[in-house]
Amino acid sequence: MQVEFSKIEGRSTPFWLAAAALAALGIAGIYATYLMSVHGLYLTGMTNRVPWGLQISMAIFYIGLSAGSLVVSGLYGIFGQVQYKPFARIAAYLAMLFLIAGLLSILTDQGRIDRVFVKPFTYLNITSMFSINPSLYSGHVLICIIYLWALFREKGTLTKIASFTVCLWAIGTHTGTGAIFAFVPRELYNSSLLPPSFVAAALSSGAALMILVKVAVFRGTGRPLDEKLVIWLGRPLLAVFLVCTLYLLLIENAHRFYLAESREAGMFFLFGGLHSLMFWFGLIIFGCVIPAILLFVRRTGTSVPWVVFSSALVVVGVLFERFLIVIPGLIHPPELFPGWEVSGTVLWEGVVDYSISFYEVLQALGVVGIIGFAFLMGLKFLPLAPTEAKVLAAR
Amino acid sequence: MKLSTALQNKRLGAIVAILIVVMLLPLGLSGVRFAFARREHMPDVFLEMPAPQFADCVRETDYMRFRHMDLLKQLREEFIRDGIRGNESLTKCRDCHTSRERFCNRCHEAASVVLDCFGCHYYPEPDSGAGSSDREVDHG
Amino acid sequence: MDRREFLKKSGAAIAGTSGALGLPLLSACDPNTARSDSPLAGRKWGMVIDLNSCQSDCTACLDACREENNVAFHDDKRWDIHWIRKVNIRNKESEDDVEKSVILLCNHCENPPCAQVCPVQATYKRADGIVVVDQHRCIGCRYCMVACPYNARFFNYKENEEWPNTAYPKRSHGVAESCHFCAHLLDEGKGPACVEACEAGALYFGDLNDPESEVSELVANAPVRRIRDDWGTEPKVYYLGL
Repeated sequence: MQVEFSKIEGRSTPFWLAAAALAALGIAGIYATYLMSVHGLYLTGMTNRVPWGLQISMAIFYIGLSAGSLVVSGLYGIFGQVQYKPFARIAAYLAMLFLIAGLLSILTDQGRIDRVFVKPFTYLNITSMFSINPSLYSGHVLICIIYLWALFREKGTLTKIASFTVCLWAIGTHTGTGAIFAFVPRELYNSSLLPPSFVAAALSSGAALMILVKVAVFRGTGRPLDEKLVIWLGRPLLAVFLVCTLYLLLIENAHRFYLAESREAGMFFLFGGLHSLMFWFGLIIFGCVIPAILLFVRRTGTSVPWVVFSSALVVVGVLFERFLIVIPGLIHPPELFPGWEVSGTVLWEGVVDYSISFYEVLQALGVVGIIGFAFLMGLKFLPLAPTEAKVLAAR
Repeated sequence: MKLSTALQNKRLGAIVAILIVVMLLPLGLSGVRFAFARREHMPDVFLEMPAPQFADCVRETDYMRFRHMDLLKQLREEFIRDGIRGNESLTKCRDCHTSRERFCNRCHEAASVVLDCFGCHYYPEPDSGAGSSDREVDHG
Repeated sequence: MDRREFLKKSGAAIAGTSGALGLPLLSACDPNTARSDSPLAGRKWGMVIDLNSCQSDCTACLDACREENNVAFHDDKRWDIHWIRKVNIRNKESEDDVEKSVILLCNHCENPPCAQVCPVQATYKRADGIVVVDQHRCIGCRYCMVACPYNARFFNYKENEEWPNTAYPKRSHGVAESCHFCAHLLDEGKGPACVEACEAGALYFGDLNDPESEVSELVANAPVRRIRDDWGTEPKVYYLGL
């Protein structure tokens, strides 16, 4: 069965406008990072109580997106589901770009960027998730490159092996990323369910983004796209991922809420601030429940506009979820004196605020710009997109 | 396979190969430079040397010229991580080489090697009013 | 040679080089960097804080620490660094407004989460039990700040313009730091700046491994407590009257 891949023309005005805008964003982000490396990270909204903010949240968001893309690609590579072959190359390429985006986001967030390229590898600390993870991510990027190469060369066996390796590695990477937060003695971080729920949310957001990208690429280039292929990604794939995500989130919060020792922290997370609104409305209702319903109900689940809408909701919902992993655990104070409350201090004891600064947003947009630009250039210079995506006759 | 796909794969392979070479190039080049460092390649600058009554430096001149950063790093690692402090330390260097401007900076500026040390470590000019290099520190 | 052979050979060359470059990883796999033959080995520095003697409006230890160690102060709660700080706590259950003044600082845990998570082993526990940051190696990732359950670690968000004690280095922006029991003073045989500055005699410091030191006797005989013992970090700062 032959699927023909070809480069997109990439000569239209919207294409060049988009590329230019993304490149400009990328440059702005690099400039913001340069300013921070010279003047200090006080240009961000982070503080001594909230040392991780937007950049780390975006980093784990990107890492999560790469998992979903790889799973979609793996459906062809591992399970030989030929109907997904048209999407395999874009998915693998995007996965690689998202990993690079995650690494870039972490890189720009370091206090001493000049030290970060060699030291984490030569002074590796096996007990540190932050040490293991960059090695995992870099290895992941390498395997993605090999996988892409195997896809381009249409090497059947190598594709299978690479796809299998990359999916396994992806599970490891995402568990490791979840473990960065879960293996730390902070009340709202310390949780065995965090790594699996990270993986579930990653798969959901990745599959959802795949849908959005597919539709955008095909509609944008005018190439014919058989609707069934998009719908297959949504229903049952994305819908099942959403159910898993909801399940794990529910159990994690119920557990925290149930036990007396963590109840106060659980209450703070669920009802204690702006983040709770983000949780209930952004993540649960609009990010998981409504998209899941839309996908399961036959009438909306088989209509491409509704599937695209659900996917957009899921992507935003998972972005909120990444924030909710990072920030509430930091703004909630550790309980140093059970039974006593802090009445006066020089530091910020108790619940603190975190707000994003302009330069932080610029940095984050910069990463979006660089990766978006690389994606558009990839579409133009590499045969990533299928010339047409039809439902292929089953063998 | 068709000619067009063959050419595309060659380009992809070439791009990957170039990326890898570019990433490994700094490593290779610095190794080459280090191995072939010679006195003749040193920048032509005038370094202010300590007065003759001081004893010799802690290592011989050629070693200090090319490997002082290794010595400093080794002393640093030993002291910070294991608390082993011998007679040699950055502060002792100051006792003889009193001016950073006329000693360290001359070569470092000529060679464009940025010094990270003095944003944290104190190394004032000997004639500046803010502080001289012989302040009172009781080393017990 | 044709393209396939070229790719195979270059692939092998790259794999070989990466393997060679990866050899340092083997040496880095042991996070316990304290050498047993170092002059620091054998001691276990600890502190006992007597809250009953501590005067609630006195800031001698806080000022001494800031002066001695060039700790950054920007008069901005977001970025101010407090290696040692005082908090007032009030009993939630009791009727009367009983307020206590508690001194908080890095506890120099025996099982320090900060050292466990530092990706470059810049934060580590020395052979004498002091948890120290190697400022030459810190990359400023702030994971140690996230991991410390006592909120005792800080980051230099902004360049510190002042340098009160030129005999000791200050930190540029971009690295993390926390109290290190004035290790540089301990090397000279003096005590930490806070202990030396306390006029009320509320701070005791000494070698927990030495059974005759003040701190060992207090820990053995007096009703000392540590903050959140249940966390398993095994802090080495004890409190009387907590």
